[in-house]
Amino acid sequence: MTVALPEQRFPGRVLQVTLPAGPGGTPVTVGGQNGLPYAPEGDRPNRPAVGMEVRSGAEELPPSLEAAIGSLAGDPVALARRCVSGWGARFLFLSLTGCHPDSGGRSVADGAALVRELLDAVPAPVIVGGCGDEEVDARLFPAVAEAAARPVFLSYAEEKNYRLVAGAALAYGHGLVSWSPIDINMAKQINLLLADLGFPPERVVMDPLTGGLGYGLEYTCSIVERIRLAGLSGDGMLARPVLCQLGDAWKAREASDASEASWGDVGLRGRRWEETTGLACLAAGADLLVCRHPENVATLSGAAWR
Amino acid sequence: MHENLFASCIQGARAVLGLARTTLADAAGRRGKDAPLSYPGTAYELPVAFGLTDISVSTLAGAGNVLDLAESLVRDGGTAENALDAGAATLLAAEVLGALSHEKGNPYPPPAVGFVPDSILRKLGIFMVDGSVPGVAVVVGKASDPAVAASMVRGFQEIGLLVFLAGDVVSQLDAEGVKLGEEFKTFPLGPLPAVIHAVNFAVRAGLTFGGIGRGQSAAMLAYLANRVKAFVCALGPPDAVALAVAAGAMKAGLTVIADQPVPEIPGLLLSRPAGEEMARAGMEARGIKVKMVKVPIPIAFGPAFEGERIRKADTHVEFGGGRSMAYELVRSAPPEEVRDREIEVVGPDIPGLPAGTALPLGIEVRVAGARMQRDFESVLERRIHRIVNYGEGTMHVAQRDTTWIRIAAEAVEKGFALADLGMMLYAKMHADFENIVDKVSVRISTREEDVLAGVAGARAVYAERDARARTLTDDAVEEFYSCTLCQSFAPNHVCIVSPERLGLCGAINWLDGKAGYEITPTGPNRPVAKGAVLDPVKGAFEGINAFVRENSRNTVHEMNLYSIMEAPMTSCGCFECILAVIPEANGVMVVNREFAGQETPCGMGFSSLAGSVGGGVQTPGFMGVGKHYLLSRKFLGAEGGLARVVWMTREMKEHLGEALRERAAEIGLPGLIDQIADETVAKTPEALVSHLAKVGHPALGLPPLL
Ligand code: SF4
Repeated sequence: MTVALPEQRFPGRVLQVTLPAGPGGTPVTVGGQNGLPYAPEGDRPNRPAVGMEVRSGAEELPPSLEAAIGSLAGDPVALARRCVSGWGARFLFLSLTGCHPDSGGRSVADGAALVRELLDAVPAPVIVGGCGDEEVDARLFPAVAEAAARPVFLSYAEEKNYRLVAGAALAYGHGLVSWSPIDINMAKQINLLLADLGFPPERVVMDPLTGGLGYGLEYTCSIVERIRLAGLSGDGMLARPVLCQLGDAWKAREASDASEASWGDVGLRGRRWEETTGLACLAAGADLLVCRHPENVATLSGAAWR
Repeated sequence: MHENLFASCIQGARAVLGLARTTLADAAGRRGKDAPLSYPGTAYELPVAFGLTDISVSTLAGAGNVLDLAESLVRDGGTAENALDAGAATLLAAEVLGALSHEKGNPYPPPAVGFVPDSILRKLGIFMVDGSVPGVAVVVGKASDPAVAASMVRGFQEIGLLVFLAGDVVSQLDAEGVKLGEEFKTFPLGPLPAVIHAVNFAVRAGLTFGGIGRGQSAAMLAYLANRVKAFVCALGPPDAVALAVAAGAMKAGLTVIADQPVPEIPGLLLSRPAGEEMARAGMEARGIKVKMVKVPIPIAFGPAFEGERIRKADTHVEFGGGRSMAYELVRSAPPEEVRDREIEVVGPDIPGLPAGTALPLGIEVRVAGARMQRDFESVLERRIHRIVNYGEGTMHVAQRDTTWIRIAAEAVEKGFALADLGMMLYAKMHADFENIVDKVSVRISTREEDVLAGVAGARAVYAERDARARTLTDDAVEEFYSCTLCQSFAPNHVCIVSPERLGLCGAINWLDGKAGYEITPTGPNRPVAKGAVLDPVKGAFEGINAFVRENSRNTVHEMNLYSIMEAPMTSCGCFECILAVIPEANGVMVVNREFAGQETPCGMGFSSLAGSVGGGVQTPGFMGVGKHYLLSRKFLGAEGGLARVVWMTREMKEHLGEALRERAAEIGLPGLIDQIADETVAKTPEALVSHLAKVGHPALGLPPLL
């Protein structure tokens, strides 16, 4: 007797989104699947893509990152080049942290100039993140949007600032990362608000806020799963590619504290902390991962087989 | 009267079209019909043609096609439709003329700028999308009094409007010293015909920011009418050409306000004297609201100060709280009766008062808005509490005619006056209720006889409202409201808020839900149709079940609104109090959040109970509710109502006070409240049961709960 295995079929499909590349670069296309990650059913035309974060501001790096990227930390453009050609990052996430009043307070014009320079230097797709200071970002996004000579994604638009960021993106033809604080309803709401403005959905990826391992990761996983299930079940506003920023993994003491000898080598520990965070996000359904440790590009890409 | 006006528009259109024809023919004669034609600095050819027709124009010949199309739009007969179409034709012809005039760049002498390139459009457009440029004013013609026009335009600049100028008004304002240029978002375009550059700017905004493609004219007209909040101020006597251009503006849904006597067309053509009245009419007609970035008051203002208490010793002035009469009232009114930003203070003001003064106070806020409803008045009124508490050095307690406000000496030293209180209310009402409130005015009185007269009127309104609230019953309405705000931490929790059961946090009632939906249609409050009534006693509704199922993502399949035993509502975590079944007593106990004791008949205090009840799951026998639900006629309908309550903290009894007794009397159990045990009477089930037996509590006679 044969027993037919139950198959889970979903009516919805995640919208396909492309992060455009510069001349000679390879665009990154994600989304398009109508099934869950690592499940046998459904088609998944695009593998999740792993990119790397490059920060413009000075910061004290955790030992693990210090060893891996410390020598390039003061030179974002050189670091960006290395991320792409040396370590295989498929896209870059440039965080303009240096414009934050607390970490250098460089001018908005400086930030925009860096964007221009980086876009010239690497052809890979780029997402540009603000500095996190509301007031500075309100000036930064329009300046970056104008400075970027080719389409990038701006990160991020949230309930408070979405009109401004979306306006900047519309003005110069860029895409957007829509952000929500680990809340599926707000994740949907921000996409609805963008749709209301007439923002083209094929230029939006969602960032549901990623907590690091031990620091809220389980909430993120749950939200990503639920976003995905809702999207596949037919909620178009949630059937969008999901981006997970793994940066928070490094905020864990376990990832950076060298003083606890009993916890083992801090270099390996930090890297694995980020890697584990990323693996969990992949399993939950993330389409884009942003990591900071070079070796994690390969390990996470290797796991991102769908 | 309109007929003549329409006929003039058509005549004007013909004139512009004729001029465009000859100018084009002339250029073609000089340069050949295949000579290129474009504006400098745009990706949209001749934008008006690009946005409204599917004719592609890159040469003089292409422009000829546009004029052919325009010609076909001009028909005889003084009807509104013909006039508007003639207006559209005028815009197309004027666009061709405009492009021809830019053969060698900007044709006009400074300060006129001519065509505004895409680069500026992109920069400014961001702020139009963002709302920090709240609208667009196009000022054309010749002012009869340049000083008035100048002050009107300065007013526009102050509130951040984008301003376009065309006609003699350019040199008039320049002479008046009005600051012109990109920096001031004020563009002197050129002589009257150059007004077309305001139009092609707006069209390009739709192409760039509205996602509208070439030739999607219906979408473009809708964008211009609904998104580009523009109005035209027409100064001086218009000729036929000006009228034709005005008709074009109206075709695009813009409001034209003339300072001449014109036959009005509501919403499209108005007549107002230049200056403040004209500005007000334009902004109102286009729904332009000014966002206040910072509330201009001498004290700090924000949620950070909400919890601040002002002690007696720090108080400089107080209103109400037993020492004087104070009340607050929000009323809605028709738009023409509310003057936005009018803040009126009557009677003695704070500065100059000796410390320790108590004064009577009447706060009356009037609001108007297309989507405002009488029912929302109480929602807005309750917000006064929070708004006043937002001030550093201002404290607000209670509501309605029990209002109590204290102003700290520290605030008075900074110069805080009652007008500032009015400003706080004005600014926050606009900000918090943006979608339903268009105009707000505030009147504050401290004059005794005024306040006494006012409070009498206010009490009548409160009574009216209460009467209305009594008619609002679960049976009488078709829709309840959802609240999913708490899903951020209780992922599958859905509150269903009905007229007779408020949200379990106590903060959201049915009207709040209704208003919440109007304010943010994409937010956590949505209307939920009750659908078929499956069981009126338990409170089972088909529509509610379907909604809860979907929004709990299939984890809660059914929910009975009035039952604690069978499929009760889930509890997120913010409940004001917890109901827990005491099987031995055949009843439920009620413990409120503030109760710190651990000893209750169920063996757990509030915090331990909360741990097992919350999280958005259904726990039959346990339920978190809002305090006022106890007073509802629908309270535990399935289990026998208030008669089921066998134990309640003292604090709860006191909090609900008279209302609870009244409710008990209403169900024929006037002695019930005294029969209900509290922590001083019983801390264990045994003690509780013997108490109940002693006083003859009705729960013992009800059908068994389990
Ligand atoms: S508890 Fe209050 S805020 Fe939370 S979901 Fe219910 S009604 Fe909304």
